This record gives sequence, C-alpha cells and structure tokens, in this order.
Amino acid sequence: MVVGGGHAGVEAALAASRMGKTIGLVTMDKTKLALMSCNPAIGGLGKSHIVKEIDALGGVMGKAIDATGIQFRRLNLSRGPAVWSTRAQADRIGYNRCICEVIAEDKNISVIEGTAGQFLVENGRVIGIATESGEKIFSKAIIVCSGTFLGGLIHIGEKQIPAGRQGEKAAYELTKSFRSLGFEIGRLKTGTPPRLDGKTIDYAKCEIQQGEYPIPFFSYTTKSYNVDQISCHLTYTTAKTKEIILRNLDRAPMFSGQIKSKGPRYCPSIEDKIFRFGDKPRHQIFLEPEGNGTDEVYPNGFSTSLPEDVQLDAIRSIIGLKNAEITKPGYAIEYDYCPAYQIKPSLETKLIENLYLAGQINGTSGYEEAAGQGIMAGVNAVLKIEGEPLFVLDRSESYIGVMIDDLITHSTTEPYRMFTSRAEYRLALREDNARDRLFGYAQKYELISEEDYKEFVDMQNRTIEKIRMLRKKVIPISKLDGLSKYFIRKDAVSLADLLKVPGVTCNDIIPFMTDEQRDDSNDEIAERAAILIKYEGYIDKQEREIEKFKKLENESIPKNFEFASLLGLRNEAREKFDRIKPISLGQAGRIEGITTGDLAALAIHLKKYKSQKNIKDKQ
Amino acid sequence: MAIKFINDDTIAAIITPQGEGGIGAIRIAGPESNKIISRIFLRARSDIKNNIPFHLYYGHLFNREGEVIDEVTMVEMPEGESYTGQTQAEIFCHGGQFILRQILNEIFHFGARPAEPGEFTRRAFLAGSIDLARAEAVADLVSSKTEYSYHAAKNNLLGKLTDKIDLIRNRALDILAEIEADIDYPEEDIEPANENKIEQAMDEIIAELAELASSYRSGKIIKEGYKIAIAGRPNAGKSSLFNLLLNQNRAIVAPVPGTTRDYLTEWIDLDGVAVSIIDTAGLRKPSGIIEKAGQKSAVEIIAAADLVIWIVDLTRKSWRKDLLKDINDIRNRNILLLFNKIDKINIKNITDKDILSISFKYVLFSCITKFGLKELKKELNQYIINRMPDLTDGLVITSERHKRKLDLAIKRLKRGMITIKKKESPELISFEIRQGINEIDEITGRIYNEEILDRIFSKFCIGK
Ligand SMILES: Nc1nc2c(ncn2[C@@H]2O[C@H](COP(=O)(O)OP(=O)(O)OP(=O)(O)O)[C@@H](O)[C@H]2O)c(=O)[nH]1
Ligand SMILES: [Mg+2]
Repeated sequence: MVVGGGHAGVEAALAASRMGKTIGLVTMDKTKLALMSCNPAIGGLGKSHIVKEIDALGGVMGKAIDATGIQFRRLNLSRGPAVWSTRAQADRIGYNRCICEVIAEDKNISVIEGTAGQFLVENGRVIGIATESGEKIFSKAIIVCSGTFLGGLIHIGEKQIPAGRQGEKAAYELTKSFRSLGFEIGRLKTGTPPRLDGKTIDYAKCEIQQGEYPIPFFSYTTKSYNVDQISCHLTYTTAKTKEIILRNLDRAPMFSGQIKSKGPRYCPSIEDKIFRFGDKPRHQIFLEPEGNGTDEVYPNGFSTSLPEDVQLDAIRSIIGLKNAEITKPGYAIEYDYCPAYQIKPSLETKLIENLYLAGQINGTSGYEEAAGQGIMAGVNAVLKIEGEPLFVLDRSESYIGVMIDDLITHSTTEPYRMFTSRAEYRLALREDNARDRLFGYAQKYELISEEDYKEFVDMQNRTIEKIRMLRKKVIPISKLDGLSKYFIRKDAVSLADLLKVPGVTCNDIIPFMTDEQRDDSNDEIAERAAILIKYEGYIDKQEREIEKFKKLENESIPKNFEFASLLGLRNEAREKFDRIKPISLGQAGRIEGITTGDLAALAIHLKKYKSQKNIKDKQ
Repeated sequence: MAIKFINDDTIAAIITPQGEGGIGAIRIAGPESNKIISRIFLRARSDIKNNIPFHLYYGHLFNREGEVIDEVTMVEMPEGESYTGQTQAEIFCHGGQFILRQILNEIFHFGARPAEPGEFTRRAFLAGSIDLARAEAVADLVSSKTEYSYHAAKNNLLGKLTDKIDLIRNRALDILAEIEADIDYPEEDIEPANENKIEQAMDEIIAELAELASSYRSGKIIKEGYKIAIAGRPNAGKSSLFNLLLNQNRAIVAPVPGTTRDYLTEWIDLDGVAVSIIDTAGLRKPSGIIEKAGQKSAVEIIAAADLVIWIVDLTRKSWRKDLLKDINDIRNRNILLLFNKIDKINIKNITDKDILSISFKYVLFSCITKFGLKELKKELNQYIINRMPDLTDGLVITSERHKRKLDLAIKRLKRGMITIKKKESPELISFEIRQGINEIDEITGRIYNEEILDRIFSKFCIGK
C-alpha cells in the first residue's frame, strides 16, 4: 500500500506494480495525483540527473514531462558534460492528467480515496492502516509519501490556515500515530509565490527566454516529436519592491516569529532575499506559464508569505507587472517530517518493519527528489516481501544514492534539495550515462523491458566502435586552421585528440569525417563518445577514487552492532554512531564531526566483533 | 578519510619514544619486511646462510648508496608468530633521531609506508595477538589521544598548525564555493566567478601551503638537530676545523689538496644544543671520479645545511679573487666566513676594505693556535639561537606525513591552476581543487560536503 499520491507515491506504486505486486494507492483526491504544487517545472541542476536515473529505472517522471512539457532547455552547456542539465516547463494540469491516466491504466494499482489516520502495528510490524473515517486497510508493506500534508499549516501574513496545500485538507491523525510508535517528528517550512493572471502582464517590458531545438527530452523512451514551445520571461524587482517589503517586514511570518521551523536556504522568500542581501539593487523573477490551457503564471523567485495586500503591492512594483492581478496568493507552509536517521538505506523505518517513508516526509523538497525516493521505496518493499536482498545505490553510482545517503547520515534540518556539488563523484554521474549506471539494476528487477535493455547494450557497443573510429581517424595539422595552435610539434592528430581540446564539441569535428562516418553518427552516440574521450583522464582518476571509496563502503557494520557500549570512543562519537547507526565504515566516516581517531577505534571493535562471530559460527 | 583497513601493505615506524635515548628501535611489519631487510642490512658474520627467526643479529645498516648509516642489531619474525601476526622485523640502533630518520627513510625507499598511529596494534588485534581488553585500551588511547591532543594542543604547535591549515582550507573552500555556485546556479543573477580573482587566490593558497611545507625544514631541526656544513676550497683547513670542534682526530688532515673525498658527519654539543657538523670535500675542479662524486655530495650537503661555515685559506695568494667567485655560488645560503691560517700571515695584510666588501659575518681563525675558537663558538651559538624555530608562535610541521600531504595538495592545486589557464570547464577545475582540499583534509582528518553549500548560501543571493 502506498499512502499519498504525489510524485513519490506514484513512482512507488508504479515500481511495485512493474514488479508484479498489487497496490492500493490511498490518496485524498484521486484527480490530484502528481500535482505540481509549487513551480511548474521538472529538472534543473542535480534534479535532472535524478529524473534520468528514475527513467533508467523504468519510472514515469521523464516520460510524463516529455509528453506534457511546454518548454525544454539544457542548462550549463559551457560548464562541462557532468553538469549539463535538462529543464522543462510543464503544463501543470496536463502533467497531472497524464499521470492519472497512467495510474488508471495500471491493472495492479487501485486508487483508494481516504486519509490515513493510524498505523495498525503487530509485533513491531505494520500490517495496515485505519483511515480517519475508521476504515481498515491491510497490506504486507506500507509506503508513506505524505508530502506537506502531515500537520500542514499555511501562513499568509498574519493568517494561519490548517491545510496540506492551498485549498486542501491536511492530515493530523497520522502524525499522532507516528509519535505514539516512538518516532521523532520535526517541522519544516517551505513556500510558494502568488500566481498571476498572464493577461495582465506587460511582456514587452520583460526579457524573453525561449525553448531549445532540437528538443532535449528526458526519457530514453521518448521518440522525438514537435512541441510548440512557449516562452518564459525574465523581469526584475525594483527599488520600490524593496521599499514595500522592508516596510512590511514585521508582517511577514518568517520575521514576526510566527514561523519557527527552518526553510530552504536555496529557495528563500523574497522578503528574506531583500533583507539578507540588502545591497543587491534588484532580484530576478522568472515568469513561467503554468500550461497551455491556462493564463496563470508562476513568478519564480517571488516566494512569499507576506499578507495578501502587501503581495499585490510588491508584485505591482516589478517591471512589467504594473497592472498584474494575483489569482492565488503566495504562502508559506509548515509541515511535519520525520528526521531521516530513523530510516534505513532501503527507506524502511528502523522502528517499524515493513513501513517505508519516501519524499518530503524524509525532509526533502522537490518533485524529482521525492520521485527518486518513491521508486527506491517501491522496489525495496517488494524485495523485502519476497525475501530478496535489498536495492541500495551508493554515492558513486547515482544521485539517488547520494541523496539517500545524505538523508540517513545527516538528517537534514532544512528541506533537502539536490545539487551537483553534493556528489563527490560528479564526473562519473552524468545525465548521459544514467542508463550505463542503472540499467543493469533495472533489468535485474524487471523494471524495464528486455528489448529496451538489448537496444541499450547495442548502443553501448556502437559507442565503443565510435570511440575506436575517432581514435583512428587522423587529420593533418594543416587542415585544422585555428585549432592547429594546440598541437605544436605534430604533423597530424586524431579526431580524439581534437576532442580533448577545451571547448571543442562533437559538432566541431563533423567536417573532418567522411560521409560514411557521419552517416552512422546517431547524435546520442556521438555525444556519448565525445564525452568519454574528452574526460578519459579524469574519469579514470575518478574511478580510482571510487575504488578507494568502495573499500570503506564494503566494510559493513552488522545490524545489531552495539555502538552505545563501545569503549575507547569519544562520547560525541558514540552518541552519533548510536543515533545514526551507520551501516558501513564509509558511512560512519561521513557523519559530521567524526574524526579519524573515532573511525580507527570503531574499525578495531568491528574487526574484533566479526572475528568473534566467526569463531562462534564455526562452533 | 584515509584509513587503510586492508593489511596488505608494509608499514614501518620508530617505536621508541622521542628524545635522545640510548637505543632506538624501528619496527617493520608486512609482506615486504624481509625483502626490505635484505636490501639494507648486512650481517657482520658471513658464515651463516640465512637469518633464523627470533635470532638477534649484529651488523651494519646501509643506505641505498651503499654507505653505512649505523651499526645495529636486527631480529626477524615470521608470519603468524609476531606481534602484528605478519612478517615482521625490528632494528635496534644508536638512539639519535637523525640516525633513526635516515634508517626509516631507507625503509620507505624500499617499499614501506609510514605507519599510522596505533596501526601496529590494530594489526596485532586483527591477528588476534592481543585480547579485547588490550585492544580496547589501545582504542581508548587512539581516540583519547586525538581529543586530548586536540584540546591540549590548542595553544601549542599542533593547535596552531590545525588553525593555520583550517585557514588555508577555508580559503580554498571559498574558491570552490564560487565555482560551485557558478555550476549549480546557472540561471541565478550572481556575479560570475572572476577568473583573475580565483587565480590570484589560488596562487596565494599555493604559496601558503608551500611555506608551510618548507617549514618542515625547521620542523626537522626541532626533531633532528641543527646541521652545519664545513665547506671551502681544497686544503683550506676544513678537516682541521672539524677535528677541532669534535675534539678528536676523526678526519684525516693532510697538506695535499683533495684529502677529504667524501663527507663525514658527527654530533657535537654546542651549549646544550645538539648540532650535527659535516666535513665536506673541497670544492674545485675535480681530478677523479671519486672526487667528483665527493664534490657533488658536498654541493648537496651545502644546499641542505642550515648553516655553512665557509673556510678561506689566507695563505693562498688568490684568496680574494676566489672568494668573490665562490660567494656567488653560495650566496643564498646561511654563511659564516672563517678566515683560516691567520697564524701564517701578517694580520695587517687584511684591510678593512677586504672585509667591508663582503657582507657576511666572519671570524679570523687558526686551527693550529686555536685563535678565534671562542669567538667562533660564540658566533655559532648566536646563530643557532637566532635561527632556531620559534616554538612560541612559529608554525612548523614536524611530521613526514603532513609534509607529504602538503606537497600533494600543492600538486593538485597547481593542476587546478593549469585547468583554469587552459580554460577547461568549471567541473574539471572544481575536481582538481576538491582533490587538493581532500589532501589537506587528510592532515586534519575530516571531510564534510555540506560546507561548500553553506558557503554558497551565505555568500550569494540564491533562489528563484
Ligand atoms: N698554518 C696553518 N695550517 C693549517 C691551518 N689549518 C689547516 N692547516 C693545514 O692545512 C692543510 C690542509 O688541512 P685540511 O684540514 O686537510 O684541509 P681540508 O680543507 O680538509 O682539505 P681537503 O680535504 O683536501 O679539501 C694541513 O696541512 C693542515 O695542517 C691553520 O690554521 N694554520
Ligand atoms: Mg679535508
């Protein structure tokens, strides 16, 4: 059973279904599956990598955004292939409908409308839930993806409204049930900007931002098709905006003390930005349309919980928004979450067996982060039921692995968003190689079709061939023109050498190929080959680091290892180990404040424990 | 975090406490132990074929050039029967740090790496040579030591070193934050990372790391004593001075130039400070291969010495001309000039003009009459006291491991500079700088990724 029909819940249900299970998807309103409650966009830095990973694991997010996107772009093209990042504006309603259809068509999933109120637990295992209306539903495993609905409280100026999302009821019973089972519950805050009526915006005063062709789609399954891409616009706040907001700061819940929980630093409210970066004359605001069939516009960068009248004044002080009308006010929302030291790498809770948590309840923010956890929880719940070994991705093979490890090791205290800088093996975790990294797992767990897998292996082989060709094909220096300066004291260079010059892309070398070589150059293969050549040396170096990393990661710590009674550890270290219960020496070393000495001491105890256990096992 | 848990490599360390003891001991443990011993140790008795385990052998320890470092005793232990459970060897030598270091260097040269604190015991524990109670005592020691030394050392060398390294590390993180902000927030309205600013900051960081790395020289002085080289043209009286300072006839003195062809090292006590003095071969056009080799080592010794006593033979007619020439070669070293054989010449022949033209400290001297000996000793003392690293606020590194890590960090950051200059993409620049920071972190033993983000958020207005 999956509780919650947001981005995490939907991926969890679909993954479990692909693995042949029947799922009850409990949600308050079955027409609101996978709603984008904040900005109408998928992808962006770090997030797009997660979408590609979800896609490589057979998930739905990439496919749905490809089908319903209204503008696609690739960010960071000048900053290197590992940080290239796809971003799309979504048709908000279209996306939601698309997912509803997919779920409706899935024979294994039945949507149950209701609000989970209480866990039914027997001998430390969850066996079902009781809804707030008293109905009991039983299941072998329960995945909770409750988003911002647990104890949701909306703030608009001095106004406080209990709600899960604007206009939707929140869930209060479930928090109580969590607490009574012994869970620690924390509180986080996030916010959203007001929505504007596009008809009242003077776009002529704004900078235009257009989509990209050829369209960069997310999913490997998407066959290129033509999208009538719409434009976004960029505008700026003014001195007047600043003045209005500063004058009304005492009415902002974040400043008046009304909100005490912590919001995301990477997505501050406009009042926060203006207050903290007072010397910045203006702040940029992206005007993003919410879809094809609506005039509603999302002013990205203007998240606020100021009172409605101030919101309107401030909005109208922005360039091009002089006559703008607000359709829905912005708000801040506080909600309950469950600090993630309480879950295992499989996302199962440590306290209650067969209970899994995914998405915002673990302290993340963002559709992509939620969906990534959803898919992992879905797969692991099924594996556990079948008595199979769990599916855990590590930091060197995926952003999803980085995220889950960060969550369970550090228990975030602000909503967690993915950034590429969180991935220490970033060069190895690219969009282009998501399938190289994860398709093996997807095949193993039957999350994708056998044909897809074969097709991909074929592509891998053709990439290798392509690289071979690029290494063999030699160009005389005299033909290189401007590029020849990179090759002093050489008569001729291979196309591969050319690609290694900073700034040279696979398009730049096309003129040097024969027609035949060009013909078989499928764009994706050409790009993959070019990246592998360009970063050869670095990728090797990174691989060596990964090997070192894996050694420590493989020093596993047994489940029932008693940290609390370890001698020779500093108190701080002992407490942290005991709270987080790291599963490997590698993870233990990543805990904040742990020193090399702590780790050495732990290693000694661990070896002793293992050798004693060996002796016992032999007897 | 760099801790090896795999015991497949060979480690070595000094196992006797620091300071001048009667005897020093070095332990080598791991598969390469026997091989290393066979490269550096030669038994005095040649009638035995193979070393028998647990037998104590007397013999000589050689460096890779085949020179004797010390007379030592040595014992080998086979796998399964030693403390660490691995093939193991122990060497007992004359206790001075200088000798111990030299031996250790040879052992590292032939394939061992420095043992981490507590590593022998860790291996012993894994081998089951010690029981839980003892292992826990050691675990206690290892961790309490870190904490203890952290707090206790706050006001001394180690604490300051950590502070200094943190300072440098913070600057490197600042640079990284700039680059990362540029990568992770391409759509934000933030000042793009300024290349010149970054290059300049990188230069400064590299320079600071290099300064710290070079303080290893002072660090070594603290640990190993001060090194004074006696150098000069052939027949100037270098060996005579060496013997005089030593109070014994250690070096051969002869009226023919080129008598000393190799160098000699001895320890002397200068007002309580242990100083090693080195007699070198005279510098001039060499007449044979051996002398040539001797001169090459003389040049190296001069380069490595903390102070050079340059002897001038006043009985040579050309001494003025020679000195002007020689001075140019050694100008950047710390130099004390010794005008020797003053007994043979009329002191009035040396004019003020001669002396003023040379901007070095000097002593008029005679090895025969010992004229100037008191002044020389006073000069040397003065020199050493002035140059001794200031233990109250000077920053020195004394650990070979730290030095190695600093050098690696510098190397990585320099590579980062190259990527910047070559206009490589930011992700690669970031990769190199991160590697540099990782090396620095291995000195203090920590890494935490979130820091970069913390910096970005505090510095830039981010968030659409
Ligand atoms: N009269 C006089 N003779 C000295 C004095 N110092 C050294 N000599 C003589 O100078 C000669 C060379 O002395 P050494 O000490 O062997 O000189 P060195 O610099 O070590 O020579 P090489 O090792 O050959 O480079 C010997 O005959 C010494 O007796 C001095 O102060 N006065
Ligand atoms: Mg001599």
